[in-house]
Amino acid sequence: MWSTLQPTPEELTALWLSLKIGLWCTALIAVPGIMTGWLLARVRFPGKALVDGLVHLPLVLPPVVPGYLLLLLLGRNGPIGRWLFDTWGVTLAFTWQGAVVASAIMAFPLMVRAVRLAVALVEPRLEDAARTLGAGPLRVWLTITVPLALPGILTGLVLAFARSLGEFGATVTFVGNVAGETRTLPLAIYTYTQIPGGDGPALRLVVLSILLALAALWASELGARRVERRLGHQQS
Amino acid sequence: MLALDLELRQGVFTLQGRLTLEQPASGLFGPSGCGKSTLLRAIAGLIRPQRGFIHLDGAPLFDARQGIDVPPHRRQVGLVFQDSQLFPHLSVERNLLYGFKLLPPTKRRFTLAQIVDLLDIGPLLGRRPRHLSGGERQRVALGRTLLASPRLLLLDEPLAALDESRKQQILPFLRRVRDELRLPMLYVSHAINEILSLTPYLAVMEHGRLLGQGLFSEVIRQNHILDLARSLGLENVLQVTVERHEPEIGSTTVRYDHHMLHLPLSALPPGSETWIALRAADVALALQPIGGITIQNQVAGRLMSLRRIADRMIAEVDIGVPILAEVTVKAIHDLGLSEGDEVYCLFKARAWQYLGTG
Repeated sequence: MWSTLQPTPEELTALWLSLKIGLWCTALIAVPGIMTGWLLARVRFPGKALVDGLVHLPLVLPPVVPGYLLLLLLGRNGPIGRWLFDTWGVTLAFTWQGAVVASAIMAFPLMVRAVRLAVALVEPRLEDAARTLGAGPLRVWLTITVPLALPGILTGLVLAFARSLGEFGATVTFVGNVAGETRTLPLAIYTYTQIPGGDGPALRLVVLSILLALAALWASELGARRVERRLGHQQS
Repeated sequence: MLALDLELRQGVFTLQGRLTLEQPASGLFGPSGCGKSTLLRAIAGLIRPQRGFIHLDGAPLFDARQGIDVPPHRRQVGLVFQDSQLFPHLSVERNLLYGFKLLPPTKRRFTLAQIVDLLDIGPLLGRRPRHLSGGERQRVALGRTLLASPRLLLLDEPLAALDESRKQQILPFLRRVRDELRLPMLYVSHAINEILSLTPYLAVMEHGRLLGQGLFSEVIRQNHILDLARSLGLENVLQVTVERHEPEIGSTTVRYDHHMLHLPLSALPPGSETWIALRAADVALALQPIGGITIQNQVAGRLMSLRRIADRMIAEVDIGVPILAEVTVKAIHDLGLSEGDEVYCLFKARAWQYLGTG
């Protein structure tokens, strides 16, 4: 019985690949996500509605659409893809790096929304106070705005990581389903359900996915609680 | 030290006027919502006027014509907010040191120990702002601003969020800042007694306009401020000296010039100076002193002018200082009063209001 719970090396590869892509995706969008969220919350600039719309588009489109657009743009024959290959020797199509890009595009709006909400809740007069005390714009941002928005930023990062773990449509469209390269947990589960006798492995991966999701939630809860205690949101 | 002349539009609101502060401590007085905070934010550089200039110690902080707009972090203008705005994620000590650490050591005018001692906030240093009471928060906010060594200290209703007893606890600290640190300050409030507790020099503002400035007793008599003064019950304002208390009969005697006035019992020590105010409508006029009446104060004077405003008359009586009395047209007719007549001003003791100590 126990042996049937033991994942095969192939299944473990899918798990590690998912983790790797998820972490890279989160790391990739952390800084741009914070900047964009802050920009949308605090700065008025021409074309803001357009930026807002573009950022949020992946959230409302069928994932296969951004996936296909990525393929057209970043594929080997796409304008950006060819340039990347010619200049840097980088190939995104059908590689795990491409999967990172696909899930980053899909996770970005979630990150931005969480940050924007958190920044909007930071009392602007705290920033004013810091300015009159001699802090320049960057220092105000780093010492007041970002620390006070940290719970929201953490939430955004966890949401982005979770979105990346669950990413299917854009990934399969852009980078395919290459075992060991782009076959993440959801793709592996889907693959097993399509072959005879694949129920066992599929179930094992489902359990793994659930454990992974719970671990991520628990870690974020722990982090958020610590930050909130520091900010004094909780009653003593 | 501070001179400004500006116009600032925000939606339908327009702030307009000029102001020159020469006194080390000045007040800015006006009803809530008249634009006092907006003016302070403009001086601090947090909002930009459309027109005009703001000069501090002869150098421009803002000048629309020359295109000068020094950013707030380079102005060295300290601003203490009504609701303290302490940084919730930092301890009291790190709040205090926030601006201090940004200054080069040669520009630091005070030390942490000095300010902590002045404001008596030593026991609070390790705490978080959320564990402080309202009064403690305001002291820390004041200390934080002082430690940033401002050239000008702006206080935006710093006591408004506190109850009366807390206010009385903070005021002495503000007086210490005024007397010991010799920092120019502009104290903004809609409560005239708070301002008078710190300084008799003030500017008056209403509906976004700076109406006038100077010594309180003179400003408040300026014609274009009379309406505001009337709405606040400040038509008659005297700076008096407390002579003696008679608690057994509930009376305090104060002296103005050579007049002795009987007022309700006050807690001010004898010899101290205070401001008292009386509504014009609470002044009665008589042709001779009247006996057998509870009105305690009957002061002789000369009727200088009579002005009719709608259905009422404003009589100005010189008793050594002009006193305004608001009476009906009928009363003036019945008494047959005309300018130049000798009259007695009758003040009920309880109609006087103590405004604060200077």
